[in-house]
Amino acid sequence: MPQSQRKYEDVKVGDALGPQELFLSKEQVRAYARTTGMWVPRFTDDEGARKEGLPGMITPGNMSLALLSKLVTDWLGSSDARLVRVGTTYRQPVLPDHTIILQGFVTHTNDADRTADMDIWIENEEAERLVIGTATVQFGKS
Amino acid sequence: MSTVLDLHSHSEASEDSRAPLEAYLNWLKLRRSERPVDGIVLTEHRQFNKNADYRALEDRFGILVLKASEVETDYGHMLVFGVTDEMTRRFDFADVHLPAQLFIDEIARMGGIVVPCHPGRPHVGLFEHYANRPPLENVVAVEVYNGGSRKGEDERSLELARRFGYRQIGGSDSHLVSLIGLCATRFEAEVRSIEDLVNELKRGAYEPVDFRPRRKPVQPAVAVEVK
Repeated sequence: MPQSQRKYEDVKVGDALGPQELFLSKEQVRAYARTTGMWVPRFTDDEGARKEGLPGMITPGNMSLALLSKLVTDWLGSSDARLVRVGTTYRQPVLPDHTIILQGFVTHTNDADRTADMDIWIENEEAERLVIGTATVQFGKS
Repeated sequence: MSTVLDLHSHSEASEDSRAPLEAYLNWLKLRRSERPVDGIVLTEHRQFNKNADYRALEDRFGILVLKASEVETDYGHMLVFGVTDEMTRRFDFADVHLPAQLFIDEIARMGGIVVPCHPGRPHVGLFEHYANRPPLENVVAVEVYNGGSRKGEDERSLELARRFGYRQIGGSDSHLVSLIGLCATRFEAEVRSIEDLVNELKRGAYEPVDFRPRRKPVQPAVAVEVK
């Protein structure tokens, strides 16, 4: 699928990012943990996670942050814009082997510095927001 | 003439929110058809912004903006409406262990009202404290719809309100621009000031309203045998 070439002039408050529905498997989470040197029971093993008081293995916060960052960069496509800030708050554990929904909205634009602010979040199947955050993207000069 | 107010929201003045007030008001203007809210109350965490003046933004967007606070007590988090200098001298709003019963009684004596928020939430809600300690006296209302609630929390809040005969309010508890106005409170009367709001919460007619979109849960995958 060709990537969009989003332009600042086309961005409006209220524009949606996603929703992207994704089945996050335990194997994907383990692969992330292995790659990033986070091979600890809470991210790799249900039994080990339960010993830490968790309901089962959970997704690393950095992986949730990465997924939300990708939501934003996918939305930017091949335009000249870049993600200049992203921040998240972790409200509930993201449990693998469940479907998650990544979503966001543009909430503010600034013509002077050609930036757009957006809300971003990860929901579970029951529309509970597990991770919420905001991001800012900046477009190049026209 | 009725008034719909989101009674619980956090702007960037709260440490865990990045939502500017202007963006909140713009969002409500854009989403007016799905969230018909006449005004919002900023309830910043553990503080009261006495000197903040939002009249220019109110005029620009035609949306009422009132100021209150969310404090932390030994019975969980509570909203305080009608904050005065006398109250902020009497209590340190930054104290995370405010004595709830004394706080409720003293704020009422000084003309305000305290409303426990998200009472069904673990650790920070009234409900959990009631399991181990006597119920508080002189609670008028509790927040039963909270835009940040997890599954089951609002249901616990409603159960608590019904069991103790508390009146019910709603608020978004928004920390993100796009979540403002998802829950609110509809007053039968017109509310145009913080004095109106305190009077209505104490004596008026009101009900919580819920504008959250409903999504059908995603069905679990079913294995199909391939012959």
